[in-house]
Amino acid sequence: MQPTFDDQHNRRAFLRQGSLGVGTVAAAWLLNHDGAQAKPPGVATAEQTFDLLPKQGHFEPRAKAMISLFQHGGPAHMDLTDPKPELTKFDGTDYNGDIAYSFVNAASKKLLGTQWRFRKHGQCGMELSELLPHTAEIADDMCLIRSMHTGANGHEVSIRYFHGGIPGVLGRPHYASWLLYGLGSETQDLPSYMVLTDPGGHPVDSTHNWSSGFMPPLYQGTVLRPQEPRILNLDAPSYLKGEPQRQNLEFLQVLNRQHADRFRGEPDLNARIASYELAARMQTAATEALDVSKETKATHTLYGLDNDATREYGTRCLIARRLVERGVRFVQLFLAGQPWDNHSSIVTSLPSICRRTDQPSAALVKDLKQRGMLNETIVHWGGEIGRLPVTQDQGDASKHGRDHNGQGFSIWFAGGGFKPGTVYGATDEFGHRAVENVVTPNDYQATLFKLFGLDWNQLVYHHSGQPQLVTAGRKAAVIEDILA
Amino acid sequence: MIVRLFVTVLSLLPASLPATDDAPPPLTFEKDVRPIFRAHCYDCHGATEDVKGGLDLRLVRFMQKGGESGAVIAPGVPGESYLLDRLQNGEMPPGEHRVPDAEIEIIERWIAAGAKTARPEPETISPGLGLTLEERSFWSFLPIQRPEVPDTASFPPDSRVRTPIDALVLKSMPQDSGFSPDVGRRTLIKRAYFDLVGLPPSPEELQIWAEDTADDWYDRLLTELLDSPHYGERWGRHWLDVAGYADSEGYTNSDAERSWAWKYRDWVIRALNEDKPFDGFITEQLAGDELAGPQDGDLTSDQTALLTATGFLRMAADGTGSGANDAVARNKVMADTLQILGTSLLGLSIQCAQCHDHRYDPIPHTDYYALRAVFEPALDWQAWKVPNARRVSLYTKADREKAAAVEAETKVVADERATRLAAYMKQAVDAELMKFPEPLRGQLRGAYETAGDKRTEEQKKLLAQNPSVNINSGNLYQYIAESKPELAKFDTRIKDIRAKKPVEEFLRVLSEPSNHVPETKLFFRGDHEQPKQTLLPASLTVTAPEGQRPEFAANSDALPSTGRRLAFAQWLTSGRHPLVARVIVNRAWLHHFGKGLVETPADFGKLGVRPSHPELLDWLADEFMRQGWSLKKLHRQIMTSTVWRQTSEDSAQSERSTGVVPFTRRILTRLDAETIRDRMLAASGQLDRTPFGAPVGIKEDDTGQVIVDGSQTRRSLYIKARRSRPVAMMQAFDAPVMQTNCEMRQNSTVATQSLMLMNGEFTLEQAGKMAERVAKEAVPLDAATMASLPKITSPASAWQYGFGAVDETAGRVMSFTQLTHFTGSQWQAGPALPDPQLGYVLLHANGGHPDITGRAVIRRWTASSNGTVAISGKLSHGSANGNGVRSRVISSRSGKAGEWHAFNGAADTNLTGLAVQSGDTIDFVTDANGTHTSDSFSWPVSITVKSDGQPDQSIASVAAFSGPAEMPAVIAGQIIRAWELALCRTPTDDELRLSIEFAAAQIATLKQNSVTLPAERTPVRQAIVSLCQSLFSSNEFLYVE
Repeated sequence: MQPTFDDQHNRRAFLRQGSLGVGTVAAAWLLNHDGAQAKPPGVATAEQTFDLLPKQGHFEPRAKAMISLFQHGGPAHMDLTDPKPELTKFDGTDYNGDIAYSFVNAASKKLLGTQWRFRKHGQCGMELSELLPHTAEIADDMCLIRSMHTGANGHEVSIRYFHGGIPGVLGRPHYASWLLYGLGSETQDLPSYMVLTDPGGHPVDSTHNWSSGFMPPLYQGTVLRPQEPRILNLDAPSYLKGEPQRQNLEFLQVLNRQHADRFRGEPDLNARIASYELAARMQTAATEALDVSKETKATHTLYGLDNDATREYGTRCLIARRLVERGVRFVQLFLAGQPWDNHSSIVTSLPSICRRTDQPSAALVKDLKQRGMLNETIVHWGGEIGRLPVTQDQGDASKHGRDHNGQGFSIWFAGGGFKPGTVYGATDEFGHRAVENVVTPNDYQATLFKLFGLDWNQLVYHHSGQPQLVTAGRKAAVIEDILA
Repeated sequence: MIVRLFVTVLSLLPASLPATDDAPPPLTFEKDVRPIFRAHCYDCHGATEDVKGGLDLRLVRFMQKGGESGAVIAPGVPGESYLLDRLQNGEMPPGEHRVPDAEIEIIERWIAAGAKTARPEPETISPGLGLTLEERSFWSFLPIQRPEVPDTASFPPDSRVRTPIDALVLKSMPQDSGFSPDVGRRTLIKRAYFDLVGLPPSPEELQIWAEDTADDWYDRLLTELLDSPHYGERWGRHWLDVAGYADSEGYTNSDAERSWAWKYRDWVIRALNEDKPFDGFITEQLAGDELAGPQDGDLTSDQTALLTATGFLRMAADGTGSGANDAVARNKVMADTLQILGTSLLGLSIQCAQCHDHRYDPIPHTDYYALRAVFEPALDWQAWKVPNARRVSLYTKADREKAAAVEAETKVVADERATRLAAYMKQAVDAELMKFPEPLRGQLRGAYETAGDKRTEEQKKLLAQNPSVNINSGNLYQYIAESKPELAKFDTRIKDIRAKKPVEEFLRVLSEPSNHVPETKLFFRGDHEQPKQTLLPASLTVTAPEGQRPEFAANSDALPSTGRRLAFAQWLTSGRHPLVARVIVNRAWLHHFGKGLVETPADFGKLGVRPSHPELLDWLADEFMRQGWSLKKLHRQIMTSTVWRQTSEDSAQSERSTGVVPFTRRILTRLDAETIRDRMLAASGQLDRTPFGAPVGIKEDDTGQVIVDGSQTRRSLYIKARRSRPVAMMQAFDAPVMQTNCEMRQNSTVATQSLMLMNGEFTLEQAGKMAERVAKEAVPLDAATMASLPKITSPASAWQYGFGAVDETAGRVMSFTQLTHFTGSQWQAGPALPDPQLGYVLLHANGGHPDITGRAVIRRWTASSNGTVAISGKLSHGSANGNGVRSRVISSRSGKAGEWHAFNGAADTNLTGLAVQSGDTIDFVTDANGTHTSDSFSWPVSITVKSDGQPDQSIASVAAFSGPAEMPAVIAGQIIRAWELALCRTPTDDELRLSIEFAAAQIATLKQNSVTLPAERTPVRQAIVSLCQSLFSSNEFLYVE
């Protein structure tokens, strides 16, 4: 028998309600679980809960979100952020101290003074190099640390230290995974931890850079690809996009609802129905969030989208802001390879990477500020190491560069409760070692956690029966002096 | 004897007696306070002989005596108790750690009530914490006691008590509770398949079992599944989880590959398939090398198997062969191995006693090292062997001789390479030195050519100041770029020669050097640099009755090894160990029900969850041992129970709310990652069932996701388990990424899983393959059923093939019925020719054969635009018998447009100017011309459509001829087949209607929007692919009821 019009009509109505109804189920499920909010994160219970529902931290948070502009390879701090007049003075003479080199074939002990001028900027008078003219404009918003120390020259070793808490050790969660574990997500439409990779390819250490380590993949960074489609598995294949996939999901959810009706005592079934809803919402929300074409011309200009040198990085900085605006907790930008790894021709290679990143990085801070978002958003700019004060000898002077240096280097923050217009710590007279107010990546993690309202020493994750901390039990301290 | 002893002990314990009144029992030191001190205080005040501040908190009278600050408690007067004061002020314990307020309050109440003890305190006390009666009486340390099982016949028949399991479960239920109804037979079959082999039944298998009318069908089903080679794969995976199986070494960044671990994986699968008694299964894994006997000459297959089994003790991450061969890394291998042992077999977190006495369980620090002593001879950190040095070669004597010959050949080339390298080095150094003026040049050369340890301080300084002279074979390429490819050529030659060598396979084993009897020292705070007293191998104190703790001989005279592990394994499997059998049956229960009787399968200690059904647990453990430690008998025991066989349903129609009381229905369990993937492969027909062997390779795709390399479709347990490179799909569905081992899987439910199922390549690919399979296997739905279903409009083809009758007076086609059977080249009424009902009707690309009058064969073409049609063709009839055939062209708009006859000859069938509108049909009708004899004909036609403003369209009937894929009845049949393959059942009428509506809507959408589909995929096929994918993504697919 052919179904009557009424049957058809009801079915349609049911299907339409179906998707609406599922949304309701999802909402109810989320509400049901709101009780979980009261529980402070990391308290040992027989069952650890794994979800992304918003959670209360240990203290009142200063920051809600963070954007990390990771500068791979080791920016040469003595040429950018850490003026060293003594180094200039003794340019070309032998350095007396011990140095650990990575590239022995071109190693030398000849001190290499910077070739760029430093000037004081802003009310605070922060000294910055002429290579960073746009960054100089945000000096009064910056909190510059000149005394970072990883103690190791290797790229991977130090990157893992920054992200995972132990130098060189793999298999640990990124600190952003910890943030998600401890605080959940503000958005239920987007992944709360996003990674924006470079069109040139993955960074050094590849996918380890956004691993959730021993935590469930729920807390892992979602990689935005540098070109469309920007999210893995987010986009349906072209032939399913839009209506066909909507039909698929509608059909699926009708099946799932009928199935769930038979098993009322199984909350997991509704959770999974809700997870399809979230996935579907993500498809729309992420597409909208990633579309920078709606931004004004002025914004495009601010980020340098009208300029070949800055367009790509500027677009990613702008996307990062749009994501944070929509409740994403953590966004990290990576660079392909190691553009700051200026072993050779630093006189040309360093200005080149500065041209690519300086304006967009500063634009991000300016833009967040003008939108009133900066006080709740941390911007981090920095690499895993710095560079040596001595020449890496490549024969011709124009080809000289600098080798790795994990003993002392600079990073900066802006917003989110960091003290603006501040310079903290110092390296020795040549910029080789951090000597004053030394800051380690574990301190970095502890301080970030504090601003997010988390006690790094209390946020515990139980793995194989062992309590784990972001700092892995290593010495760490919140750097109170740089908090506003 | 042991049991009796414990019974006596138990009767002394007030705590074990049922409470006789409502007043809370008085607080005692032993039961209430000591555990708090154990967790927070004893490190400094009792565990070691050196107590801080002279204060020992092990006995109440010590507290009253006090330490350097005097008495710390005043019984009855909390306000004057210094201890309480210190705790409340947060001064003790020192550091950031605090005793929870609730616990301080217990201490306060205890002091207020007079600081009572459970019994008089001993006159003397030996050093350390020792074990109290209370600690020994914790449920999991008491001997396994077979409970009295109520006679199954004593229950009323409607309670459906089938087995002792049912009796024990029902006994523990409240009066008004009971089991849910038995699950339907098909679901029961499906459930049994997933539980035992981790694969779905094929529709045919399901059918056979569903229709088996013999009384013992279920027993035979269980037998068949238990005998299946896939059983060992399914249950092997469970064991590999707790063993911490991985195909890489972990620990260091390189995460070196563990090439031969798979032999252990295969051993586990085989052992389970042959139902190796579990006591032997354990013993061989712990001490297979000690059982294998002397190994001189080629290994026997028994020896090979026994040695392979010890791979269990080699599963811990081991970085000592990949860059971390230091004391910390070595001791970590030992620690992880003990942790795996504890969590897999003992159900205890013994690793917590590595640095101090266990905070919660009665495992003294010394016990940990006594247990460590069992393994020390094989894992001696001071005489360490890196992984490669522990391998056992499977080379025979003959293999070795052949290999030696190849190596001799290799050496010749290797020597050439060494000569070349030396020349390059000299060249590089000479060139580099030329950059320096004399006399510096000569000095540098002198320094460089002097061996590192012979250089003077001056020379060292010189080289440090001029680092570019420090050339070595590693950085040589930085000086002479071509040295790298040149030297590589030698390597290639060497590789080619070595390829002739017999392939050498290895076993990953644990064994001991002969007569190696190292001492095991207790490590103070777990620090190997602070060794203390020597400990002899022994079991955990608490696992045996007081005074009967088994100690194992330090060295066995009968074996070349110490025999410690063998003795330990024999104790574990002696039947007297309180934990082992309980832990094993609990794990089996966990995998049958999704939840253990003890919900923390790796922790039967104080922080673990107490058993929900202690009597059942003990009965199962005891029965398991009585049945010869047979896991397969245990499965049968469980799976024949009503507890297991009841439904999971809990619908609005249920009379009572089930699920609150345990086992009043069966809980739904989500398939684990491997089973989800395997189930998709089984449904799509792609599953490669080859067992055993080296793991299936993996790779990173261009987005950084790790995926299975190529189109390998073996069961997921054979995918390479590299610790640092988990396969994305496996990880997304919670497959373990081994750090140590996986005590129990988590079941997460997240949007990323949904995205993977909606858009992930694997799902899409398998849905596509399944649609292809469905197209081959589906049987078109019969016309009667079709008539009751929603219509699927817009089939892709403009042609339909059928038969019918012509109204001779009106010149119109009266009836048209589509043919439903397609042979691959022609349409006919059914598989047989002639068809019992419809005779010889058939149509093929060129023509066909009509049947009697009223069964003319008809090719129906539907116009898709308005215009004028011209037709050209040639009707041929070859036979000289009968009277030939008659063909007509009949339009649905204007009736008959032409008629032709052919008999043993041919006729041109041309006509022009036939007006059509979109949707009109033109029928090409051929009948038997009244006499049904020898009526085979051919009639290829060509249709030309002229429409205003459009180019002429030409359609050739031969080229357009197609099979059934596009027919509604076929689509419906495919939908049914898809349900059968994906969900192991046919859809209900409602579900079929829903599916057809879905397919129809999607076909319409795809056609309307002219979507570009993947190659060779029509809108109809895509709709079926989408259906398959939706079924894959459904909860019914992902969960087993």
